[in-house]
Amino acid sequence: MADRDADDDTGVQPHSRSTNGTPRWVKVFGGIALVLVLLFVILLLSGRGGGHGPSRHASPGDRGAHVLPSSVTEHGVRQPRP
Amino acid sequence: MTPRLRKLALTAHVTASVGWLGAVTGFLALAVAGLTSQDAQVVRAAYLTMELTGWFVLVPLAFASLATGLVQSLGTKWGLFRHYWVLFKLLINVSATIVLLLYMQTLGSLADAAAEPTLSGADLDVLSSPSPVLHAGAALLLLLAATVLAVYKPRGMTRYGRRKQDLTPIRTSSPS
Repeated sequence: MADRDADDDTGVQPHSRSTNGTPRWVKVFGGIALVLVLLFVILLLSGRGGGHGPSRHASPGDRGAHVLPSSVTEHGVRQPRP
Repeated sequence: MTPRLRKLALTAHVTASVGWLGAVTGFLALAVAGLTSQDAQVVRAAYLTMELTGWFVLVPLAFASLATGLVQSLGTKWGLFRHYWVLFKLLINVSATIVLLLYMQTLGSLADAAAEPTLSGADLDVLSSPSPVLHAGAALLLLLAATVLAVYKPRGMTRYGRRKQDLTPIRTSSPS
């Protein structure tokens, strides 16, 4: 009986001889991942994407610059946003 | 691992991983509701539910997926570092788990703010944040990529894998 991995149903065997060199899909995936990581680091360093801690969400009363005219109520009565 | 044990481990890993994917989809729906709803009660409920979902569903499933994945890879001939698709799945899993754990801090803050009894409607507008939507969307894409890798298992061995393969003879089929 062939020594086949029981959890492999794609025809790809763990013992399949692989060609030398890095496959193209690895280079593409790796490149995309690298770009995303760099983007994330740049955002963090620029201060735009950072601040995931509690200080980012300080008490709502402190965020006067971001307060919009109230368009909701506490009792479930909806009002449309202006 | 024996075939039976291998199937058990595979079942556990698929359950945890696909369960995690499904939970993130549900979380995304809550995040969208929190961002777009005009109803204060819905916004509050969304953020409170997101935090609960995070701690009691997402985090356990993330760790379960990682643990069962490690068992699956180390207990079979695929190995952990021999094939690129396994390595990429590991990196996706570990990074998604780390980001999730870090983001739970933000979710906790949002939930604490949503639970405040004295919040006004204006405060709730401030609370409505696109951040959970963005994070959930990114997590969904990552987990989908991991699922595709798991099913298709694209060819490609790492240098380490090729070295191990050269040292290990291939067992060929033989009639019993």
